[in-house]
Order: sequence, then C-alpha cells, then structure tokens
Amino acid sequence: MSQADLTMEVHTTGLTVGPAFSIPTKKLAMWLFIIADTMTFAACLVAYGFLRNGTPDWPRPFHSITNVAIMTFILLTSSLTMLLGLRSARAGDKAGAFRWTMITAAAGIVFALLHIREWMGLINEGMTLFKNPWGTGLFGASFFSITGLHLTHVTGGVIALLVVGVRYKGGRYNADDIEILGLYWHFVDLVWMFVVPLVYLLNLTH
Amino acid sequence: MTTAEEHKSNGIGKDLVVYVCLLALAGLQFVIAYQNIDISQMFSRMLAVACVEAGLAALFFMHLWTEKRGFLLFVAIFTISVLLMMQYGWTDSFRMVSGAPFSK
Amino acid sequence: MHDVAAHAAHHAPPTSFIRKHVFSLDHKVIGKQYYALALVAALVGMVLSWFMRIHLAWTNAAIPGLQLLSPNGAPGGVMTPEYYLQLMTMHGTIMVFFVLTTAPFAAFGNFFLPIQVGAEDMPFPHFNMMSFWVTFVAFLVLMSSFFVGDGPTLGGWTQYAPLNAVGSVAGPGQGAGVVLWAISIALFCVGQLLGALNFIPTTLDLRVKGMSLMRLPLSAWAWFITSCMGLTAFAVLMPACILVILDHVAGTSFFVASNLVMNDQMLPHSGGSTLLWQHLFWFFGHPEVYIAIIPGIGIVSHILITNMRKPMLSQRVLIYSMGALAVLSYMVYGHHMFVSGMNPFSSLAFSFPTLVITIPSSIVVLIWTFSLYGSKLRINSASLFALGFISMFVSGGVSGFFLAQPSIDIMLHATYFVVGHFHLVMGVAAMFGIFAGTYFWFPKMAGRMMNETLGKIHFWLSFVGAYCIFMPFHYLGMAGNVRRYSTFVDDFLQPLIPVHRFITIAALITGAAQLIFLYNLIHSRFWGAPAPDNPWEATSLEWSTATPPPWDNFGGKHPVVYHDPYQYGVQSSVGDYVMQTSPEQVKTEHEEK
Repeated sequence: MSQADLTMEVHTTGLTVGPAFSIPTKKLAMWLFIIADTMTFAACLVAYGFLRNGTPDWPRPFHSITNVAIMTFILLTSSLTMLLGLRSARAGDKAGAFRWTMITAAAGIVFALLHIREWMGLINEGMTLFKNPWGTGLFGASFFSITGLHLTHVTGGVIALLVVGVRYKGGRYNADDIEILGLYWHFVDLVWMFVVPLVYLLNLTH
Repeated sequence: MTTAEEHKSNGIGKDLVVYVCLLALAGLQFVIAYQNIDISQMFSRMLAVACVEAGLAALFFMHLWTEKRGFLLFVAIFTISVLLMMQYGWTDSFRMVSGAPFSK
Repeated sequence: MHDVAAHAAHHAPPTSFIRKHVFSLDHKVIGKQYYALALVAALVGMVLSWFMRIHLAWTNAAIPGLQLLSPNGAPGGVMTPEYYLQLMTMHGTIMVFFVLTTAPFAAFGNFFLPIQVGAEDMPFPHFNMMSFWVTFVAFLVLMSSFFVGDGPTLGGWTQYAPLNAVGSVAGPGQGAGVVLWAISIALFCVGQLLGALNFIPTTLDLRVKGMSLMRLPLSAWAWFITSCMGLTAFAVLMPACILVILDHVAGTSFFVASNLVMNDQMLPHSGGSTLLWQHLFWFFGHPEVYIAIIPGIGIVSHILITNMRKPMLSQRVLIYSMGALAVLSYMVYGHHMFVSGMNPFSSLAFSFPTLVITIPSSIVVLIWTFSLYGSKLRINSASLFALGFISMFVSGGVSGFFLAQPSIDIMLHATYFVVGHFHLVMGVAAMFGIFAGTYFWFPKMAGRMMNETLGKIHFWLSFVGAYCIFMPFHYLGMAGNVRRYSTFVDDFLQPLIPVHRFITIAALITGAAQLIFLYNLIHSRFWGAPAPDNPWEATSLEWSTATPPPWDNFGGKHPVVYHDPYQYGVQSSVGDYVMQTSPEQVKTEHEEK
C-alpha cells in the first residue's frame, strides 16, 4: 500500500486555504496511514497480551538474544541512514540521497533475511502456527502473526525504498517523497521497538 | 518551507544523539530481560522503556518535534486516546485463569 | 505538485467509456457508484428480511423460489432453522456494512464533500477509485458465499467466537462461509481505510479561500468526523478478521478455548479466548454504529436548516456534540457484551460512558427541536425524511437508556427489544438519512428533479410502516420473545405469533413502498424535470455550481467563500439567503464566529 501511496500524483488546487499544519497533503495522508496502522499493530499486540495473560503454560523458549539484538541494531541503524538520505536530498545531493536510500533498503533486506533465518530455525525446532514443543500452541500463532505482520511491512518498505530511490534518481520524485517514505520506515522501526521486548524478551528462558 | 530550513540549520549531531539514545534504550531492554524480577514487573519496565523509545523516534526521527505544534497535538491525542480506549479488555484476560475477577 | 504533466493530464476529463463510468477517478462518479452499490445491497438485504419475516409468521409456508437459492437450506421453499440464521447473518452484514456505511458516508461523502469544501477532487483519486472497487469486490465475495458449499455463515453479523472459528462442525456455512465473510469484511476495511485517507485530507487541505473550518457545512463536518472514526475502527477489525481466517485455515486457536466439545466432537483447538474476539469486534463495532449515524445527523441538519430558512441554534455545539459522540463511541463498546460473561466490573465501566453518550445525543436532538420550533418549515420529501430521522433517532434512542444499564440489559439483551432498538436508531434512522439526502441532493447528482408526490407517499408509508414493524419489537422483547429463533414453538411464545404476523404484513407493505422510491429514482433519473442549479435556494457550495457539476466541479474557477454556511432569513438581492460564495454583505442576526 505504501508503494501505491507514493506512485500517485497529488491533486492540488490553487487559491485554497492552504494545507493544514503547513505540511504537504501526501505527508498528512502518510501520517493518517501510520495512525491506522498503529491501531492494527496495537490490536495484534493487545490480542497477544490478552492470550498470554490468560494462558498458564505460556512457553518462554528463546535462548539466545544475539539474532534479535543484531536485527534491532540493523533496523535502528537503517532509520539513521534514512535520515542521512533525507538530509542529502534536502541539501540537493542527489547521488548521496540515492546512495543512502539504497543502503537503507539493503539494511531492510538484511533484516528480512535474518528474520526469515530465525523463523526457519524455530520451524526446524518444531514450532508451527498451531503447535510447538514447549507449551501452548498460541505462542506460535501470535509470534508468527505479529512478526509476520511486521515482516510484511518491512518487505513493503524495502520495495517502496527501491522504487522511490530509483525514481528519485530519475527525477520523478523529490526530497518530500523521501521524507514521506522515511516516515513509514521510521514507523516500521518504531513498531519493532514494541515487538522486541513484548514478543521476544518477555519469552526469554531464564 | 520552514521544516526544510530547520533541517539544514541543524547539523547531523541531533540525529546522532537520538540514535545513540535509542540504541542505549534498546540495550536497556535486553538488560531488563535478564533481570531477576517477576514477569509483570519486567513487562511494565519494558513497556515504559519502549514508550520512551517510540516517543523519541516519533518526535525526532519522524520530525514531529519540528512540525507545527498543532500537528503534534493532533497526532498524539488522536493516537494515544484511541490506544488507551483499546485497553478495556484486560481484566477479562486475567479471568481466563482465575475464573472470577480478583478472586485471589 | 512536482509532476506537472501528470497533474495537467488529470484535469482533462476522460473520454473513454471505461475511464469515464467504470474505473473513473472522478469523486462524483465514485460517489454514484457507491450509491448504486448501496442500492443493490439494500434491495438484497430487504428481500432477505422479507424471507425471514414470512418464515417467522408462517413457519411452514413455502417461499416460492427459495429452494432454487439453496436446495438444502430451503427444501421445497421452507427454510431450515439454520438457513434462517444464514439469511439473518447476510441481512445484518449487508445492511450494516454495504448499506449503512457506504450510502451516507462513502456515497454522499464522496460526491459532496469535495464540492462542499470547494475542491476539484479528492487529493488521491487513485485511492478513491481503489476504495470503491475493493468495496465492490468485498460485496461480490460476500454474495458468493450464497453459492459456495453449504451456504453463507450463520453466526450473525457479529460473528461471535467460537462459532466463527471452529469450522463446519459449528453448522452449515461455518466452514467456507465464515472464511468468505472474513475475507469480504477485511477487504471492506481496506476499502474504507482508503476512503478515510482521502476524506480527511480533503477536509483539511483542499478548502477554498475563505472556507475556515467553522464555515464548513454540518454535513462536511459529519463526514470528516466519520472518516476519523473509520480510520481507526476499520484498522482494528481488519487484523481481527485475519486472525479468524488463521483460526480457520491455519489451525490456530486465537478465539477457541481449549477442550471445547461441539456436536459431540472434542475440538483440537486449545487456549484461545472467545471474549477476545468480542473485544476486538466491538472496539470496531460500536464506532461503526456511529459511522452509520453521524453522516445522517450531518445530512439531516444540513437539510433541515435549508428548509427551515434559518440556522440551527448553535452550529458550534452541534459540531462539538458530533465530536463527543465520536470520542465516546470508543469508550462504550462493552455495552454490547453485558451478557457475554465479561467482567462485571467492566460492565459498570462501560455503563457509565454509555449513559454519558446520551448527553451529546440529547443535545443534538434538543438543538434540532428548538430550532424547528417556530420555524416555517418548507415541507418536501427531503425535509419530511429529515423529520422522520429525528423521530426514529429519538424513539430508538430512548430504549438505549434502558439497555445502557447492565441489570436491565441482562433481561432484554437476547430479546426482540434489542432488535427493535438498533433497527430504529441505527437502521431506520440511517436509512431515513439516506432517503433525505437522496431527495435533497438528487437534483445535483442526476441533474433532474425527483417526483415530490411519490416522495411524500414514500415517506408516509415508510414512516408509519417502520413504526408498525419496530415498535412491536419492543413489546415482544419485554414479553420475553427471544431473538434469533427461527420458529416460536414454546408455549409462552405462541400467543405472540399474531404480533409477528402483524409485523410481517407491515414489513411486506413497507418493503413494497420502497419500490415506489426505486421507481421514482429510476424514472426521475431519465425522465424527471431538469433541475435548476439551486432548486432549494440553499447556500452551501454544492448549489453554487452547475447542475450536474462539471468534471472539475466549478468549471475551472475557484470559488471564494465569504460567509458562514447557513445565511438564511436575511434580506439579499436573491431572496432570503446569501450563498457562501456571494460577496454580498448583508446585515444578519446569525453571525457565529
């Protein structure tokens, strides 16, 4: 959806009262999408917490934090590279902006690959959507759906980064579009800040 | 555009500071995870840190801080109020185990 | 903005049939498409309700043709109890989602919100087009469940867990039917989210010069508030639907408790919570009620003011009340769950805001009645339906006071009292809002006037008919008549069957009266008298442009707004009103700043 969001022209009129809050209409729409998406993630996290609370045999199977720590570091750093890309775009440094956007996309790809590797590891240990060797089957259901939703967002974000980066280089998009896409990317990062402690760290073996 | 000018006037320093803060807070989450406390306490500490992280990211990475104050209020009030109203159901989740509210 | 070529291309009206009438980017065409979709859905929903009513009153009577729709569900035309529930579910789902949400909000909102703020179009026409077509596909998916497997789902429009999650062991339609239902509703959510992403920026960003927020007509305010609710409410229902689909096809058990035995089968699911579904669903479900009714409130206010020839007592308080309704609607959702085994303490926490929400509703009604008092109301079909809206809103709303209290609700919740309550306050009232809007705006939408005589006949038949149908529901409920029963065989229900027969006859007649409306709509569309630009002598922007509005709404001009939206009862060069776009300065008593 985010991709389609950025590939359409904005219909503006002259002689209007002007955009609200002095931000471009596209940016407002991205923020509204982020608010809606917040509710989607919140509903999933609330459902997860609700079920976790009410289940006595909730498993805490995670042994190692290495992978999730690396993933967190990569995603956080990709937010910084996104900001650097925007900074270059605002300064008129087209090549720099393109480079940083591509680096951000690469970080997103690495994140997604690490995520999939982790999934594969868990699946190999016998965890599926409806059962796992450690306790209630709800664990796998909520883990895979929440991280899956997040991974979908990362994947969409990477595609959008590639498309917007290339089109920015080709002159079809400008710094504003980079900023709007950046909002989405930071939001994906922001959600991860809740997913890590609530879904991973609370389920750590002691 | 005022926001653009502010971007130029600010060095990269602020972003880096926020980035380091976020890394530190993310690291703090992992420290909390290894503390020897009960799960509800761990949850509340982690949630508090996550909210601080999210606030920092929204304010500085997503530039809410440099937008019009009205926009900051619009986003914050809209989002937080709806999120808060989603929290009604929790007592029912505890009752799945104990059967009745506050039976212990 | 930066893309000048594409921008200019957008301004040129499309020439091909497909881009003009099918995949159109024009908000006016999309609005009409939504209206047509709602019309078809309303007809389907109404016919389903006829089937149900006939079955309730004459249990063994065969309904000719029904066996063709479902040979198993209605052998020989007599529906089975399960098929009754399946039809009921489809009636509820179609009406709530595809009529009450699409018609007043998406249809009229799409057509008139951009015109009322003075914009050429919505800011993201492609999103707008996707919004309609996704909704259309959602409708097709829902309809397809009639013909798949053992028919549509029987769980009611609320799709309570665990029936919605365990598969076909729970009854006919609970297999493929529920999956199709969930896919349809998830798609519908996407469609409405796309709509909301357009509505909010339209209201905030595309207003013409002089159109401050307080100068927006009340209908525009209503659509704006509704879209803010839709943005967050549909975003919660969508993941809930996806979790239901996972429960079905992937074997998860989010909504199924462990060790559940159903039809003598121990289900393999383990660990989930049935209440979780209700919490997620009603967190969407209650705002949805207001998504259906707030546009009606706005439309009716807009129409009443025009026909009263004076503004409401307070425009500002009406807007604040609609906002308060929107905010409170998120805090009261648990009043649907008083009998669901929810924590009794949360019942109290939900009961209080539910009683509080009657305050803004009452304020709205009081503003309407006191503004109407002493005004010389112009009686036409639109204003009659607006009055009917108020009547239904009050009659249905008053029973809300009873139901808001858990101790009374426990008695009444599973009875026809609740059915009567929500049909009056949400169903019929919102329908009357749609009718009022249609009679009022049809000249602008179609360029032709509707037949007023037929409109008035339609009103009186609908008005009297709706009361004949739904008031007895309250008495039935107090007499203990349980809802969702397909037949009334118990001793204490037998004496109530004559009441049901009366209701059924009233429903058939009232339904037939809607055919007058349909005839009027289609006939006027092609053969009605051509409409002038401003037939109602109204002030807001949609009446200052040509009829029907040109492709870019104002013919290349940008209107400038000089006045509050409702300058009636003044002396001006054109009559007793001043258009918002008229630079004429007149002395007026009603200046609300």
